[in-house]
Amino acid sequence: MLTYITFGIFILAFVLIVFEVFDKSLIALSGALLMVLLNVLTPEEAIEAIEFETILLLLGMMVLVNISAKSGIFEWLNVKIAALTKGNPLAIFLLFSFVTALFSAFLDNVTTVILIVPLTIVLVKGMGKDPKPYIFGEIIFSNIGGALTLIGDPPNIIIGGATGYNFLDFLMNLWMPILGSMIFTALVFVLVYWKKLRPISDNLSELCVANVIIKKLRYKFLNTVLHKDFIITVLSILVLTLTGFVLQGVLGIPTYVIAFAAAVLLAILTTRRVKVHESFESVEWTTLFFFSGLFIMVAGVEQTGILEQLSHFVAGTTTNIFYLALIVLWVSGLASMILDNIPFVTVMIPVIMGIQTQLGPEAAVLWWALSLGACLGGNGTLIGASANVVSADLAKKSGVRISFLEYMKFSLPLTLGVLVICSAYLFLKINVL
Amino acid sequence: MKAQIELYSNLLRELEMDIGTRDLTELFLEALALSIKNLKVNSPEAFLEQFRGLYEVVSNTEPKFGILNYQFARLANYSQDVVCKDKKCVKKWKHMVIKRLEQMIREERDKKVNIVKNAEKIEVDGKTILIHDHSHTVQDALVHYKNMGKKFKVIIAEQNFNKTHDNIERMHDAGIPFQVIPSYMLSHVHDQIDMVFFGAVTLKSTMNFVMSPGTHGIISEFHVIDVPVYMFIDTAKFSLWKSKKKVGVFMHKHERTHYNKPITYERIKYSHDRVPHKLFKKIVTNEGVFTPVALKKLFDEKMKKYSFEK
Repeated sequence: MLTYITFGIFILAFVLIVFEVFDKSLIALSGALLMVLLNVLTPEEAIEAIEFETILLLLGMMVLVNISAKSGIFEWLNVKIAALTKGNPLAIFLLFSFVTALFSAFLDNVTTVILIVPLTIVLVKGMGKDPKPYIFGEIIFSNIGGALTLIGDPPNIIIGGATGYNFLDFLMNLWMPILGSMIFTALVFVLVYWKKLRPISDNLSELCVANVIIKKLRYKFLNTVLHKDFIITVLSILVLTLTGFVLQGVLGIPTYVIAFAAAVLLAILTTRRVKVHESFESVEWTTLFFFSGLFIMVAGVEQTGILEQLSHFVAGTTTNIFYLALIVLWVSGLASMILDNIPFVTVMIPVIMGIQTQLGPEAAVLWWALSLGACLGGNGTLIGASANVVSADLAKKSGVRISFLEYMKFSLPLTLGVLVICSAYLFLKINVL
Repeated sequence: MKAQIELYSNLLRELEMDIGTRDLTELFLEALALSIKNLKVNSPEAFLEQFRGLYEVVSNTEPKFGILNYQFARLANYSQDVVCKDKKCVKKWKHMVIKRLEQMIREERDKKVNIVKNAEKIEVDGKTILIHDHSHTVQDALVHYKNMGKKFKVIIAEQNFNKTHDNIERMHDAGIPFQVIPSYMLSHVHDQIDMVFFGAVTLKSTMNFVMSPGTHGIISEFHVIDVPVYMFIDTAKFSLWKSKKKVGVFMHKHERTHYNKPITYERIKYSHDRVPHKLFKKIVTNEGVFTPVALKKLFDEKMKKYSFEK
């Protein structure tokens, strides 16, 4: 009976999260609380179920990014990039898309699109052009870039927390399909939207309006006072943090300790410029509570043995690792198009752990299949990832309405193509590499 | 063409509100130089065709930006004079046009110097000066007075958040003592204010200055109590064509909701005010300091000489 109740609570919470009936953190915490009150888990087991490594890594990165953003370094960089494009639409598209991917690999995707999308809209809309292809590009590249590193997207943080894979492991195992996906995506964009992205160097009127807007942006952003000492401190700490992540294996320091240490150090060094209570207030506490509640709920479901049975079932369907990897990739990819990929990955962790126990270390490739599917599948629809929803909101605020179908018409076939590229990579990884 | 005119109208209007007409002109000329540099054309004729297209767009914006029209007319004449027939000379020819543009940008900067120099004829020592719009020309003049060692105080009439803060930043950076008072409370400081300084977007043939919204009220208020009001404007900003009444003032209607009651209402905003030149005691320009009567004479002479009427 308890099994059914537990499963019922989880399914109900999942549905409520999908349809956003309440704030998702509230739903996850309520589900977790119910599981404790119904004795599915003891309070001690519930606390143990929370992966504090993941929570602390997210917390550290949020504070680090928040303080860094206050230095104005990201806006400065964006305006410089805008100037580099010289108003060429294709250059604007390619440069901003690749910068989005790069930022997303190291910042969270939502922060990245908040930094880049408004500037792109001002630039492109001001030029009298349709900003939608550019916004679509930034959404898709933010999710692709986020999939590259341990800290780029929450599913990777969860996978890293559960498996112990470090920053370098993610980079080494994912750079190839990510690079392939980026090239493929850029090519598709250029082919589909050529009329909107073609160079304007033969039209003085269009060139002039573009250059006026770039100059306006420079005037507006670069007139804000940038403090050299603040920027140098931020850049030094960011470089140190990335070095720490890359050398994590050698240093033997967990990722969350590196992120947390960097955040605290930066907060101390910038006390004169940034009020620490403002930085702590800006932490997305709802996200952290959502994760905590989710970890407890999944632990409750795990207790019932359902997830173990599911892993047995999946492992029993075939012993061919490639087929299993394909199942994980495509199921997680398709699910992430409509479901929040965070709860999905949290549920999949014990399932893949179970499969790995049965099939041995060769099944480790399933983690990369899960990461690629969960992160890149989110591109399929406008509700597939937080960055998509936030970008659509930012666009709406600037008078650009993006409908669900309009986005999906382009993104769904593209995402399926990207998943095919990832499938090919998994085949190569298992059989050749 | 219509879409391009609308695009440029919106862009220039926004820019003018953000950074003022003078900086807008400089920014536009710099952007034009950059665009000509990156423009890919096969012949000077092809360039001239593109240039005429852009000139047509810029000269038909609403509102019209007199100073841009003036600069475009100069550049158009120059481009035609230096045009060459040989296709190979496009690069050299583009270089010459860019050089000319750079010279025009330098001239723009020199004009600023001249206005500031002519501002020295206005005595400000020991006075309290009211400012309201965020005219960079007025700001420059005030900074110049400060650098000359004049002792004066500024009262900033509070208005649009960004414009007020622009004034605050400039006064603060120059070390000019200042206070800020909401525009609708100025009657309480009438006796403290000795003179009022303003800048303008343009001067129309109707002899009305096109100025920031809210300025007409303040100027009239101080005109009534005999406090001298001064205008600081570059003569290149004059709109040297016959103006129609009310053209150039845009009305923006939008819906707003009461902050805590379910009441929605229509709110109306206007882009500019039009202020008769007679309300000013003196008009300080790059060509000298004028009374309203003398300014009308200068305007008419320029109109005869440079009229851009097409």
